[in-house]
Amino acid sequence: MNSQSDALPTEPAPPRPSTPGLGWDEFSRELVDFFASVKLAIFLFLFIAITATIGTVIQQGERAEVYIQEYGENAYRWFLRLGFTDVYHTWWFTSLLGLLCVNSLTCFYKRFPSVWRSMKQDKVGVTMAFVKNLKQQAEIPVENTKESVAQSLVQHFVSKGYRVLAKNEPGEVTVYATKGVMGRVGAHMAHLSATVIVLGGLLGSYYGFQEFGVCLEGQTYHIPRGNFDLKVDKFWIDYHENGSVKSYNSTLTVLEGGQAKATKTITVNDPLVYNGIWFYQSSYGDAWDQVEVARINIKDKETDKVLKTVDLEWQKEQTLPDLNLKLSITDFVADFAFNSTEKKVYSKTIEHANPAIKLVLTERDSVQATPWLFQQFPDLFEIKDSKYQFELVGYKPRKFTGLQIAKNPGINVVWTGCTMIVVGITLSSFIFHRRIWTKIVPTPTGVVVHIGGTTHKSQIDFNKEFRKLTEKIQTFKA
Amino acid sequence: MMRSLFLFDMTFWLYLAALVLYIGYLFARRPTMALAPAGHPSDNFDERDGAWATQLGQVATLVTVFGWLVNTGALFTRAFERMEHSGTFAPWSNQFEAMAYVSWAIILGYVILELRYKIKAVGAFVVGIGFIAMGAASLLPYRYQTAEPLVPALNSYWIYIHVSVTLTSYAAFAMAGGLGLMYLFKERAERQGKTTGFYAAFPDLETIDELGYKAITIGFPLLAFGIILGAMWANYAWGGYWSWDPKETWSLIVWLIYGAYIHARMTRGWEGRKAAIYAVFGFLMVVFCFWGVNFLLSGLHAYA
Repeated sequence: MNSQSDALPTEPAPPRPSTPGLGWDEFSRELVDFFASVKLAIFLFLFIAITATIGTVIQQGERAEVYIQEYGENAYRWFLRLGFTDVYHTWWFTSLLGLLCVNSLTCFYKRFPSVWRSMKQDKVGVTMAFVKNLKQQAEIPVENTKESVAQSLVQHFVSKGYRVLAKNEPGEVTVYATKGVMGRVGAHMAHLSATVIVLGGLLGSYYGFQEFGVCLEGQTYHIPRGNFDLKVDKFWIDYHENGSVKSYNSTLTVLEGGQAKATKTITVNDPLVYNGIWFYQSSYGDAWDQVEVARINIKDKETDKVLKTVDLEWQKEQTLPDLNLKLSITDFVADFAFNSTEKKVYSKTIEHANPAIKLVLTERDSVQATPWLFQQFPDLFEIKDSKYQFELVGYKPRKFTGLQIAKNPGINVVWTGCTMIVVGITLSSFIFHRRIWTKIVPTPTGVVVHIGGTTHKSQIDFNKEFRKLTEKIQTFKA
Repeated sequence: MMRSLFLFDMTFWLYLAALVLYIGYLFARRPTMALAPAGHPSDNFDERDGAWATQLGQVATLVTVFGWLVNTGALFTRAFERMEHSGTFAPWSNQFEAMAYVSWAIILGYVILELRYKIKAVGAFVVGIGFIAMGAASLLPYRYQTAEPLVPALNSYWIYIHVSVTLTSYAAFAMAGGLGLMYLFKERAERQGKTTGFYAAFPDLETIDELGYKAITIGFPLLAFGIILGAMWANYAWGGYWSWDPKETWSLIVWLIYGAYIHARMTRGWEGRKAAIYAVFGFLMVVFCFWGVNFLLSGLHAYA
């Protein structure tokens, strides 16, 4: 961040040894200059910003049909080629992020040593020409002795929180005052943070995982990555007075070798953490293969009159002695479909679009039938040997709880990087590295104070400070 | 039905009045060439440039401060109404409240700027943006303005810090945008040789430029902090700190845009006019991130 910004007048640099052609030294210097350049940083910031918009305009990770329908087949082919259906994981986008890391690291490598030196080193030995060439500079005659002016000046700087170095020589006194180098250190800390965050992200994506689990109340699931079991004790929803959902909650128990190790009721924003694996309450919905209760109308075939309405519990046989019937529900599908090759019934989607239950009935201890009852098509099938007609009139679906299961061993590295970036840019935004040099030169009538200063940021505040300082120096009269 | 709505309305009218007064102040204050040469700090104007203009300026400041107090009161009232309804205090839980909070932050920022740098002309621009934000909020349909209970994902203490920090950064960028616009007006007037009249009451170009830069250096770390707090919240609520959701991505885009600005400022030539245009552009991106994303793109933040 803080590059040539100091606008320090350059002291003549030692001439570079002029080796003909492109030696390795020149080449590596050029390479460092290129990767450390502010121009590259600006280009990357803007280019990443522009390309990142693509993924917000084009839906990410959709099915092919969705893109073809919206953009046409030709466009879709280009989308695939350029990776627009998953922009943020394409090789070119991740390369841009990688390049940003290289850029900031090289910048650190190239510029931090000088910041380090300016924290450590004595900067008193500057020439008069150097002071006169600074952006802010003034010459103030004062009728006083050299030592007395220097004394007052040092006191003034110290009272303002500056670090002061002074050198008394026969001809002149040089005073160097500096403050706020942390602003520049902050910028470098922010630069390093980019790499730390990326490393944390990589760590998480290599050694972590994230899965979504649809779980039913009362069931126990094995978590292979944690080598333990998870039992869903309970799932329920709380509502606000106006009927909107207040919270959804699952009580979970971790089982290891059949023994309960931890129990917690999780809700959105309050996950269960066990052995580095986090269980989040992520969503909920109606199960598509189970119901809690189904309501059946039993009709007389001949009169078409409803004889009885019964509520059947899931997979529990119910005996109706007055009708000489035994009924139970053994299967449920939310969206009925039939696979004719495998001869299997399945749910086409998870939507409750065409619900059907499989009824097992025993009539007069002899008739065995297993008809599918459709809620939307009550008259689809008829059981030949029965004198009854059955209708599915309603059901209460079992709720599933949607759990996000995640482990991220890189997360603390990411947070470290995040802390570095926030602390770093806060320091560099609010603390300005200020450096002021003064040379006090005796004249026949007193002294002349040559003063010059520079800041790496916030010129407006520094100008004000500098003006006040020059006014102050004028009061240093004997 | 809701007392806070009356106070928000009142805030709107007070900010309108303040804006009109600041514009009036600019027109009333017509320093002559001799009094205000270009580059002269504006706080040293001669008293002869119209005592009543000064008074108008004072009234403008008073109305602004009063409007801000009413805005504060409205947010507090809304917070208590929210508490009664849904158990969360945060008065920035929907688009309307967020807008009202942003105008509160913009006006607060402006009042601090005026007190610190004694520049009133900025008010015509920055109070203007605060007024527009409040006005845009008032134009939202009634159902957006009321305090419905929060959805489960939002019902968390994270909402206090993540949302307030992010919205405060928006306010800082709004300030920078207003100053950028002001710079462009003044710069154009100077190029056309108009050193007297309306534009002469503005502070000098260098001051506007530096103040704009300052506003961005305040907004930039705030936005970074806001994004990171959001990432922490997401990690706590959903199990992933970054999912490239449109709002997340757009806030990152905005941050990158200002990151480029801050780096560009380091190299020569990125001051003045270019920087001012860029600040206005950046602010438009913030507006899109704040409004456009909520209404145009679907995603996890589409709670409006």
